[in-house]
Amino acid sequence: MADKVCLQPCLGLRKEAVLCRQAFYVVHEEMRPDQTVLGCGPALNANVQEDLDFIEMYPVMAVEACDLDCATKLVDKKGKKVARTVRVTDLAEELSVDLDGLPEGENIDTDHPAVRAMADRIAAMVDEMLAA
Amino acid sequence: MAEEQEFKVAVLGCNGIGRLVSTVVRMAGYKIKQMRPDQVELLSCGRLAVKEPEHMELLEKYPLLVIDGCRPHCASFMADELGRQPAARIYVADVMAESKLNVAGEKRRGLTEKGEKLVEAVAQKAVEEIDRVVADEMLSTL
Repeated sequence: MADKVCLQPCLGLRKEAVLCRQAFYVVHEEMRPDQTVLGCGPALNANVQEDLDFIEMYPVMAVEACDLDCATKLVDKKGKKVARTVRVTDLAEELSVDLDGLPEGENIDTDHPAVRAMADRIAAMVDEMLAA
Repeated sequence: MAEEQEFKVAVLGCNGIGRLVSTVVRMAGYKIKQMRPDQVELLSCGRLAVKEPEHMELLEKYPLLVIDGCRPHCASFMADELGRQPAARIYVADVMAESKLNVAGEKRRGLTEKGEKLVEAVAQKAVEEIDRVVADEMLSTL
């Protein structure tokens, strides 16, 4: 059974991507520090050993900002399959997060209710994956 | 004649997640777009990593400015991987050294005034490069 989950964000620039990134920081730094690692897309693409190790050693949860699913495809490109792909838009709908109300082209504070709601849900998904 | 043509620069920041400089590069990208809205196309590393057609077209169409945050130089790696020679490169550590800024204590999840100063310095360096590249492109058509 895996003891950690690799959180792999899309790392785009749109607000959905920023929301995902900020939620990942909350999950990794506050909520599940010992159960998660943060996968960096550009580093994985550049074959940085730590990021190759992450997708080799741990199940990957890709959280995508849009339907291009770049994080999932990047893991594919490196010869692995993600355990779970989640889209921010689907999570937002499930959690009644108003994406239209979020700012574009700037940071979103990690105390923002939308970030907190996303982080809570992602942490629960991490727990589900580790329990599986 | 020159004003009828579109002179833009594609900006590829690493936009990673693991380090403080990841946030600096991302925020600098937003600032660069604000400072030169009509001359900049911000590229996403994620989309290029999987060769998304629209982004590949932008990469081919415009001269490229690469901004690397940390030592692996992942944005440069991506440009090399895709066969694109950058017209300019910026490495955040170089800007930090030049500007004598100290960002100790800053956090990747959100910057304070100290981190914002480095963002500003990176963005300023970037627009200088963008202006140079655009001028070079423009003059090459005259």
